[in-house]
Amino acid sequence: MMLARVADSLYWIGRYVERAEHMCRLTDVMLNATLDRTEAANQVGRIALAAVGHPDPAKVADPYEAALALTLDRDNDGSITSSLASARENARQVRDQITTETWERLNLLYLRMTGAGAARAFSDGSSSFLGEAIADLHLFKGAADATMSHGEGWSFLMLGVHLERAQLIGRLLETCFGEGRTTALSDHFALTSLLRMSCALEPYLRVFTADIQPKFILEFLLLDEEFPRSIRFCTQRIEEHLSAVNRHTEVTPPANPERLAGRLKARLQYADMAEIQAGGASAFLANVLDECAAIHQALYEAYVAYPLELRLPA
Amino acid sequence: MATAHSVDKAEPQALPALAPYDEMRPGDGAVRPHYAALEARISTLSAAQLAERQRTLERFFLLQGITFTVYGGETTTERIIPTDLLPRIIPADEWAKIESGLAQRLKALNMFLADIYGEQQILMDGVVPRDLVLSAPSYRREMQNLFVPHAAYANVCGSDLIRQPDGAFAVLEDNLRVPSGVSYMLANREASKRVFPGTFRGAGVRSIDRYPDLLLSTLKSMAVEWRPNPQVVVLTPGVYNSAYYEHAYLARLMGAPLVEGRDLVVHDNMVYMRTTTGLRRVDVIYRRVDDDFIDPLTFRRDSGLGAAGLFNAYRAGNVVICNAPGTGVADDKAVYAYVPHIIRYYLGEDAILPNIETFLCREPAQLSHVLGNLDKFVVKAVGASGGYGMLVGPHSTKAQQAEFADALKADPENYIAQPTIQLSTAPCLVDATIEPRHVDLRPFILCGDKITVTPGALTRVALKRGSLVVNSSQGGGSKDTWVLDGDARAIRP
Repeated sequence: MMLARVADSLYWIGRYVERAEHMCRLTDVMLNATLDRTEAANQVGRIALAAVGHPDPAKVADPYEAALALTLDRDNDGSITSSLASARENARQVRDQITTETWERLNLLYLRMTGAGAARAFSDGSSSFLGEAIADLHLFKGAADATMSHGEGWSFLMLGVHLERAQLIGRLLETCFGEGRTTALSDHFALTSLLRMSCALEPYLRVFTADIQPKFILEFLLLDEEFPRSIRFCTQRIEEHLSAVNRHTEVTPPANPERLAGRLKARLQYADMAEIQAGGASAFLANVLDECAAIHQALYEAYVAYPLELRLPA
Repeated sequence: MATAHSVDKAEPQALPALAPYDEMRPGDGAVRPHYAALEARISTLSAAQLAERQRTLERFFLLQGITFTVYGGETTTERIIPTDLLPRIIPADEWAKIESGLAQRLKALNMFLADIYGEQQILMDGVVPRDLVLSAPSYRREMQNLFVPHAAYANVCGSDLIRQPDGAFAVLEDNLRVPSGVSYMLANREASKRVFPGTFRGAGVRSIDRYPDLLLSTLKSMAVEWRPNPQVVVLTPGVYNSAYYEHAYLARLMGAPLVEGRDLVVHDNMVYMRTTTGLRRVDVIYRRVDDDFIDPLTFRRDSGLGAAGLFNAYRAGNVVICNAPGTGVADDKAVYAYVPHIIRYYLGEDAILPNIETFLCREPAQLSHVLGNLDKFVVKAVGASGGYGMLVGPHSTKAQQAEFADALKADPENYIAQPTIQLSTAPCLVDATIEPRHVDLRPFILCGDKITVTPGALTRVALKRGSLVVNSSQGGGSKDTWVLDGDARAIRP
């Protein structure tokens, strides 16, 4: 049992923290890649910016400025700093529900990202700046894991993390393999960059060796059972946490997010790459993303913004 | 602390009549015995070491998020409440008197509230003027003849004490509505344990750690007896309130949900909170929302901070609101003048802690005395707070005095006057040197089935040299307050 508003805040902390981490990685990979002035490097820049919703050619032309804005611009709701500020604001609202250790990690990172020295630190070394932010976010998740009770609140936090992650990876894959893409992704450099953006390079190599091919990447990021950033892995966690949350509820809500999550998980579990490719990866990805959005919607209707009439005592 | 109803009690005075009492030094370079250990410790520290400790302290507050947010046009910044490194120390015998005085006062004030909202015997006996009470804006007619468990109307009280030049403590104000600052008392203690661990250990400081626990048991004692496992919640106006940190802090340490008005639903005169698993009954609400805002159906209709129907549920006895609505009538500035009489009336005792001399302009003789000495008095409007509607005699112009004279004559009932008060001073670290600054003292008293005074306090500091204004909105800060458990012990620097 916890306040619906608190569950909502914990869920959004999870989402914002995951979004910030993903953006850090995307920005870092893009900046690193575009140090080279090759067409492949430009392609990486385009992928990264398209995946975050800024496929503006002017931004692609000046990746450093784009990266700076993606990192520190408070006016941009999608920037890393804005995501962290939102995560912290939510954490402040449920300060009584998260442990001091967890709060301190997030607060410290926020203070550093918004502090006077942030722009300077970024220009001195964007890679180490972003790398440290990622490491701090790992510390946050580690502190939460190690100090928070793994009860209902924890489940909502994890639901936010994994739903956001599934959607971010889905959107990145859609950018690379979806309908709107202009040129096929085939360059080795661009493909490894894609794996880096998903933090998947090393785990991928262990499964598929250095044979880097688009269809294997798609398979790995969609269907791998063990890699924590594959969409299948995320849906497994989503289903687990939804069933944990549902245990506490006396009535099964009419909107049943657990059923939707279970269905999506099964679809990914029994999916076949040949079939996906025959039917078009694009359609499959679009469907997965729609399902994720539906889970989010059902989660809200079941636990956060439910109609009061159904819950009043008789 | 930007409390909703904090008042600037005193203003800088041009020429103090008496030298202020200094908490550490009685004069001639001597040090009071209970400050000896601390003095010995800080005299071994260089300015740089003191500054380093000050930074440790500030970092602690920043990291904990004990900050207030300054929303600017371009940037949003986090500021900490200024906190002074050096603790203020109160010896055991002095504390014993403060403790008994505060307990006596709260006991009498709760009896007064029970009487006012009941039979009104004290008004019939003419001890306190009837119209003074019944016309006070903080008097709530809605509370009349309502059952309050243990007749404990004010459950959490934070009284403001000052030490006068002769060394005696006096009560400047009783805060019986929604007193704040207790989280700073607790956080200051955490911080000072980090910066002066050795001195702290040696001094024999009384623990204040049990405050959240005592608060919870006080709140639980207010629940109706047939609800064996009462659900206690803390009601906050929300994250933009300046005391939000405190609300979250207390909720966390009590293990009670921190709710906002929008989390509450009143149905059939029962109060519920919206949880992930549906609605759950609420028994006791420790509300940190002012009377006016708790229920738009009963009080201010434009309030979005409370819950519609909450007061009716309270009237029906299905939920307890702490502090009870309407407690403000007992900390009204004009009623304040009668507190010594109130104590004598109910308890048959003299007040252990005296009041500050207060002139009620509603009394013709007192009014003429005030009018004749406007240049010496601090004149305050009864209903106003936060330093508004106030004349500081020694700092005023003839024109301002004439303006106030007219106002006093037109509406004498609305004003009181007090002599300008010289607060005591305590050593503070200011720009790497130790200098005396004026301080007050806000201890916290709990009252449910019994009264508990926590042996500690928030010491508020006027950080500007010579200033007597301790409010955080005007450059005030705070410091830890050590209440010793016995005589000062051997020096252990």
